[in-house]
Amino acid sequence: MTDSELRALCHRFLDAIERQDFETVADVYHPELRFWVNLTGKELSRDESLSVLREGAGRHRRRTYDDRTINTFDTGFLARYTCTVVTHDGTRTALWACLVARCHEGRIVRMDEYLDSGKFGRPPGSTGG
Amino acid sequence: MTMTDGEIRELCNRFFDAYQDRRIEELAQIYSNDCIVWHNVFGRETTGRENLAALPDSYPMQRRRTYNDRIVDTFDGGFVIRYTLHGVQHSGHQGALWICIVGLCRDGRITRIDEYMDSGKFAAWRGGSRAAVYEGEKEGGKA
Repeated sequence: MTDSELRALCHRFLDAIERQDFETVADVYHPELRFWVNLTGKELSRDESLSVLREGAGRHRRRTYDDRTINTFDTGFLARYTCTVVTHDGTRTALWACLVARCHEGRIVRMDEYLDSGKFGRPPGSTGG
Repeated sequence: MTMTDGEIRELCNRFFDAYQDRRIEELAQIYSNDCIVWHNVFGRETTGRENLAALPDSYPMQRRRTYNDRIVDTFDGGFVIRYTLHGVQHSGHQGALWICIVGLCRDGRITRIDEYMDSGKFAAWRGGSRAAVYEGEKEGGKA
């Protein structure tokens, strides 16, 4: 995949999650997808990851992936972003995360996501220190 | 001057080896003069010099730290490395953190570091109060 194709895939994935467009997310996921998160240290399969997304869909009023900084390498992309969440009571929270993805033939084969659980529920700009 | 994939990988591993082996003078050579270090936990930038200045006080807090399971990818102008930080505390407790660092590079040096980790793992990594363990070790003449 070219640099442009990888960037487009990254945006397509994050945009789809923002819109809760899980059909597009499913299309972006390779059938053999593995999704690892540093919070649990466990890998989720494609179906498990989609289930988590669907179950969490109503948890917040809005979730956006802002300030995206994307770099690409031979087999994938790195995305750094601010995940901004608006809860049902209107509270805004944010955390900084990064995602490393392996891609093949227009789909994401593997994702490793790093974020800080200490930021869950904290208003934007507050520090964990 | 543009750095090659090989040069960036070598710089990345040289950086982590020096950090692991506590060679602060070599780290000072690896950081560019205007290097910035940012952590997702604190959300603020420090200079490379401030980062280095904190190391002499930071290193004695653990008996040993090793940067294992390194997976490095390079891109134009930098690298992303995922690794497991293993720590052995003075109590003997062993802990691990999964960390991702993005390094921007120029002319053979690192100009910026963005570090991503989960502060929720800190307590398990330390295996108790780090300060208390360290102070206890010092009183026992082991540090």
